[in-house]
Amino acid sequence: MPGPSRRSRTGASKRDIHRASRTRARTKDLDQVQLEDLLPENKAKLENQPLDETLPGLGQHYCIECARYFESDVALKGHTKTKVHRRRLKDLKEPAYTQAEADAAVGLGVDKTQRSLNNDGQAIKIDS
Amino acid sequence: MRIEHCYFCSGNVYPGHGTAFVRNDSKYFRFCSSKCHKNFKMKRNPRKLRWTKAFRKAAGKEMTIDSTLEFEKRRHVPVRYNRQLVAATLKAMNRVGEIRKRREVAFWKNRMAANSQRRKLADKKEVSKSINLLPGIKASAKAAASAQTVKQKVKVPAKRSNLASAGGSGQKMSMDMD
Repeated sequence: MPGPSRRSRTGASKRDIHRASRTRARTKDLDQVQLEDLLPENKAKLENQPLDETLPGLGQHYCIECARYFESDVALKGHTKTKVHRRRLKDLKEPAYTQAEADAAVGLGVDKTQRSLNNDGQAIKIDS
Repeated sequence: MRIEHCYFCSGNVYPGHGTAFVRNDSKYFRFCSSKCHKNFKMKRNPRKLRWTKAFRKAAGKEMTIDSTLEFEKRRHVPVRYNRQLVAATLKAMNRVGEIRKRREVAFWKNRMAANSQRRKLADKKEVSKSINLLPGIKASAKAAASAQTVKQKVKVPAKRSNLASAGGSGQKMSMDMD
């Protein structure tokens, strides 16, 4: 078949799915990236990380969206053009799935008005 | 006792059942079954899997905006026992359940309303298309049938648009039905 091989981008190249899904090999979830890492203050911190010899490229070339370290800036730049990265950007455009959405799907919400009311329906006086 | 809901499929998780996963940012994920847990580990999006509640809501398969869905709330302040309150709540729960059931049936009927028409049209098309397969049909009948199909083809879009508008108004009506 003509065209480049897609082996590296599909799940077929994964040697062992169970190994990859071990807790210690766990990668960041979409909601972690979207709700924390992409906030301006965290983003700045992740872009300027201290040198760390245990990380690829001393932790200097990090893709925030994909939560991945690269060896060099060239590799990082090349990565931003890939399909994996662009797919990740697309996934991040949608609001993250949370437990609140799971609860809302079965009609369970959170009653915030109760916090300031006692059982008789009157506001609780908080001594400070 | 608190009945939690599965992170993945929104199913009930009773005390002592299911699995929990605590992520390294101390977020708690509850799963009703190993199926849900495995799918989570594979980093699948529950909104895209047809068997989850999240999908059904997101795809408009079930009621989302309804006053009967506003009753169940997680209250972080404990309520002091009150016999009358319990009695009233139990009564209300039954009543709300009844109303919700009725509305769900109406919603489903409304969702399926367009289907019978669509199926009928498809059947008609099929018949007119393969009329020549029927034994003992003369060429003139065939010609008449094919002429009919031409007529139908003109009619179809008009009928469809009528249906769509009727369906839209029907949906709104079902919302304030009681």
